[in-house]
Amino acid sequence: MVNGRVSRRTFVGASIAAPALATMPFAMGGVAAQDGIVATMVTDTAGLGDQNFNDATNAGGQVAAEEFGAEWKVIESIDAAAYVPNLTAAAEQGQLVVATGFLLTAAVESVGAQFPDVYFTLIDSFVDLPNVQSVLFNEHQAAFLTGVAAGLTTATNKLGIIGGERIPPVIRYEVGFRAGVAAVNPDAEVLVAYVDSFGDPETGKEFALAQYNDGADIVFPIAGLTGIGGYQAVAELNNPGEQWILGADISQEHLAPGFELAVCRKGVDTSAYRAVKQVVEGSFGAGLNQLGLGDAPVGFDNPDVGVGFEDPNGRVADDVKAVVADYQAQIAASTLVVPANDEEFESHMAGTPVPAPAG
Amino acid sequence: MDGIIDFFDLNLFKAVLRMATPLVFAAMGGLLSERSGIMNIALEGLMLSGAFAAVVGTYYLHNPWWGLLVALIVGGLTALIHAFWSIGLRSDQIVTGTAINLLAAGTTVFLIQRIWAQSGRTPTVQKLPDVAAQVNVLVPIAFLCVPIVYFFLKSSKLGLRVMACGEHPQAAESVGINVSLLRYGMVMMSGVFAAAAGAFLTIGSLGLFTRDMTAGRGFIALAAVIFGNWMPFGTLAACILFAGAQAFQIQAQTKGIGISADLLLALPYVLTIIAIAGVVRGSRAPAGLGQHPTPN
Repeated sequence: MVNGRVSRRTFVGASIAAPALATMPFAMGGVAAQDGIVATMVTDTAGLGDQNFNDATNAGGQVAAEEFGAEWKVIESIDAAAYVPNLTAAAEQGQLVVATGFLLTAAVESVGAQFPDVYFTLIDSFVDLPNVQSVLFNEHQAAFLTGVAAGLTTATNKLGIIGGERIPPVIRYEVGFRAGVAAVNPDAEVLVAYVDSFGDPETGKEFALAQYNDGADIVFPIAGLTGIGGYQAVAELNNPGEQWILGADISQEHLAPGFELAVCRKGVDTSAYRAVKQVVEGSFGAGLNQLGLGDAPVGFDNPDVGVGFEDPNGRVADDVKAVVADYQAQIAASTLVVPANDEEFESHMAGTPVPAPAG
Repeated sequence: MDGIIDFFDLNLFKAVLRMATPLVFAAMGGLLSERSGIMNIALEGLMLSGAFAAVVGTYYLHNPWWGLLVALIVGGLTALIHAFWSIGLRSDQIVTGTAINLLAAGTTVFLIQRIWAQSGRTPTVQKLPDVAAQVNVLVPIAFLCVPIVYFFLKSSKLGLRVMACGEHPQAAESVGINVSLLRYGMVMMSGVFAAAAGAFLTIGSLGLFTRDMTAGRGFIALAAVIFGNWMPFGTLAACILFAGAQAFQIQAQTKGIGISADLLLALPYVLTIIAIAGVVRGSRAPAGLGQHPTPN
């Protein structure tokens, strides 16, 4: 405080401004652009580090940037109010904006209309604009297969679901899983609980502990960052071979080595890859892109496959996998239509087959 | 009857203790700061910086106890910024508290990137030991802090002086108490306590840090201080009420007692509103809260 009273006020101003600057979204440098394509991902509030939805999308975009010589950037959204400014910043600096998540729907609708020359890929939701590619997944199909595997594996006849927020993609996971369990093990009970947050792993852990303590032996967190708590819970209880966790979107085995029974795979990474690829090749497919089960597993080689059931560590018994394969064939042949929302689930459970979607 | 016994089991009790732990730590810190006359809405950010420092300390020193020590020091020093702004420079205490919260949210995310070259989440580190199944050693320590804070404020000379600073800073100054020094000390202690709350979340429970993982617990702790009428045991009761509502909500969803999940999720917040509207009518903040010992 050499300058006495003059510097005092300036100092207060500067020292208060500094943290505000620190919270400004910062873009992570990607791979150098060769042909000028800049793709920017805007996260939902769970942000990077969720080991899940946002991280997977980011990984897919990086692979694509590497392969196609584009530049991949990320803007993290600190809260819901940041969606519109972040999407605007992303649209101003490039050709493609990848918006990860249902929660960004309204923001994409308004920003997408303002930038008709910029391509937008919106994951997990639908916006009807000529420059917006809405990628929806048939999570319920993969979740059904995961439910079949879990229903045949459970020893306690009790399973748990921990949802983040009850939004359509999570609902598809939930009802698909419950329908799958019911198909092979009608006596099994599925505990369904919602944390109401995708960013609170500590509370997620409490939910998982409550379910395991109540007798559930397989828990399926569908909750982004919150789901990390489920992995911590199963690792802490430490009953290998007796209590399991199921991975959603991508494998998170490293969070609780030895406890991940299987993965309900969702190709958010391959859909980001797919969007960059399409922009580079000039084949951007706007409109609704519904990605479901395919003959091949989810992967960059076949980015049109949206979801799949995976057993990366060979923990699912062979006879169980045979049943899963059987159901997969039925779903592929449309002889079995998996419910995707509450109404369809109820009519499915009442014995009325869900009609196949038109087209 | 069986159903009720089944519902209120030992696991639920443990869950309440676990969920109350970070609230109790942070609320005791907030209580000390506010009792000395400095408003502290920075608890959330102090907690977050402590949670992060605990992981960094454990990561580099390979021992969670050292990690805890690092957290407490970092928490105290972060609170020193708040103290300097609000006592030394007499800035608006709400504004500076908000600045601390933003500072912590931003720097932790930034430092994860710098230290581990990954985003939003640190690697898993060793945790502090458990004293019983799913009860970390920090849980009993948190509850032990309550009588300590109580006797400090009620029976120690220093504690009584702290309360004098909070009630009437001008009078305290006139009898020779160094109001600023005591307030600096108490604000730093609030950082130490809040850091312990944060450390519980990381090295006491999850074993890793994720961005914004405190998820509003600092603000709930602050509500507990107000609801507890700035009294240590009242604040403890409020923390247990909030944690209990949350644990009940989780247990109710798990056991499927047939109440809408949306209603159950709102339960802790509804309880807070009812409590503050109905019960705390006689609540009185320290009279000198936010005041300075000499005119500006």
